[in-house]
Amino acid sequence: METDTAPPANRLLQAGAYALAGIVSVAFLYPYWWMLVSAFRSTRAIMDSPLRLLPERFDLSILSGISNIGGVPLLRYIVNSIGITAVSTLLSVAVTALGAYALTRRPKLPGFTVLRYGFLVTIMYPYMLLVIPVYLVMFKLGLLGTYAGIILFLALGPIQFFLFEQFFRKIPGEVIEAAIIDGASEAQVLFRVVLPMAAPITATVALITFLLNWAQWFPILVISKTPDTYTLPVALLAMNTELGSNFQGIMALSVITTLPVAVLFLAAQKRVMDGMASGAVKG
Amino acid sequence: MTTTMETVWHNRIFYLFVLPFAVLTILFGVWPIVLSIIVSFTASATALRPSPTYVGLANYAAILADPAFLASLLRTFLYTALSVAANLSFAFGMAVLLDSALLRHGNLFFRLALFLPVVTPDVAGYVVWRWLFDRSFGAMNAFLDLAGLPEFAGLTTATTAMLSLLIAELWHHAGFYMIIFLANLSIRDRALEEAAQIDGATRGQIWRFVILPQLKPAFIINVVYALIQFLKTFTVVVVMTKGGPNEATNFVSYYAYQLFDQGRYGEATAMASVLFVLVIAISLTLYRLGDRESS
Repeated sequence: METDTAPPANRLLQAGAYALAGIVSVAFLYPYWWMLVSAFRSTRAIMDSPLRLLPERFDLSILSGISNIGGVPLLRYIVNSIGITAVSTLLSVAVTALGAYALTRRPKLPGFTVLRYGFLVTIMYPYMLLVIPVYLVMFKLGLLGTYAGIILFLALGPIQFFLFEQFFRKIPGEVIEAAIIDGASEAQVLFRVVLPMAAPITATVALITFLLNWAQWFPILVISKTPDTYTLPVALLAMNTELGSNFQGIMALSVITTLPVAVLFLAAQKRVMDGMASGAVKG
Repeated sequence: MTTTMETVWHNRIFYLFVLPFAVLTILFGVWPIVLSIIVSFTASATALRPSPTYVGLANYAAILADPAFLASLLRTFLYTALSVAANLSFAFGMAVLLDSALLRHGNLFFRLALFLPVVTPDVAGYVVWRWLFDRSFGAMNAFLDLAGLPEFAGLTTATTAMLSLLIAELWHHAGFYMIIFLANLSIRDRALEEAAQIDGATRGQIWRFVILPQLKPAFIINVVYALIQFLKTFTVVVVMTKGGPNEATNFVSYYAYQLFDQGRYGEATAMASVLFVLVIAISLTLYRLGDRESS
């Protein structure tokens, strides 16, 4: 209905709908604003007026206050976050795409059903409680305290598997048969026919995996032996747990932890929201 | 007639494709779970030795006789029930609002505002909420004061601490449930609604008999996801309350983790098994229910 010609009752209803959606959105976004403003304000100033909408002055002096957290330079946490997230994302996409493809193309091969169930059981196991025995496994494999251990553990995830599986199931059998009749080997079918078709879903999976792995903290904390392998969220948690905590520094570190993924999400929001919705619908 | 070995050899390329996935699933999924179940049958003090002492169901008996564990389990159920109800009704309400023709302009902004917390690292989000609720720093009480409303005790009393966690988690998760509802709403058959309207159905009847039945998939998925999500509540406790005040927010995952931290491996893994069985039983029951309805 056109709003200009709508009867007054509808106009009122519409105003109410906008007001409600507006209030909820502001409430959801306010924590970001408060975090950002607090990162520029001294603890003293925040205690005096917690609601101030703009900082007294803009300066980045707090960055020198958190240039070293728990004996490790801030830069190292940033590099760890980028490196661990990027490598585990690439690995996750490659491993899950190949695995989901094989399990979808030939579900009845000996061992494949068992593997599928093994995977489904794994993702249903309470994650934080799985991480604890994973500590023992990492110890036995000699991977405790290593980047390799962290990256390998982060490479496995349910939504990645479901998105690929859902996509591979929808590929018409004729497309693959035609390629095989033309003399393509199974490897050629995968790399020349299927994967090029899968480029958009691969991008979606990569994006979602990056966002999810950037946020990971518990497995990284458990597998790490020292803060040298911590990522930003783990460093933030460590800083938040300290007594007599540096409030302004915590807010600044929260901003640094949140900003990259917020920007990435806003740049690719449709892909992320559609992907997460359809990955869940399968799950 | 081909033997199993021949089938495997003939399809070796597929085994090659699946190998890395299988290795990761076994090393970091199946093996730790099996290990965890084995440890739950051993005496904690010997659990990590090469030949541990097996104690049968003693750990399970011990946790079921532990009033703190039972209290924690009850608390987890209560929190889960409240959170599932709050998150899903909020998400459903917002989805219906954002799906309506009333909000055609600026719709994307509202969706982004509600979904941004889903991709925000949970530690960062909960850290900010922890301080928002703080009595001397927080914006929450300053705002209530400004509006002339009574003070909110936040993380300092039992009831308000649980409520605070619920609010912070709703902020983090509700956007996800909302987009599932929105996706389902957008694929519904609108012709049915027009037909019902022509037949003289009221708005309420259309919702009750035409729209809601079509939203069953979203409801089932969301209920399963939310139940699993809140039964496992952990990060928000670590960041905001550490189980306090006075154990008021000490849910099963956190309690099990505390025991593990104290070296009580047998009991901790027994708790993990209990939670695991609960999660599996709930998801299977609900999926069966959903499958039977849709087939």
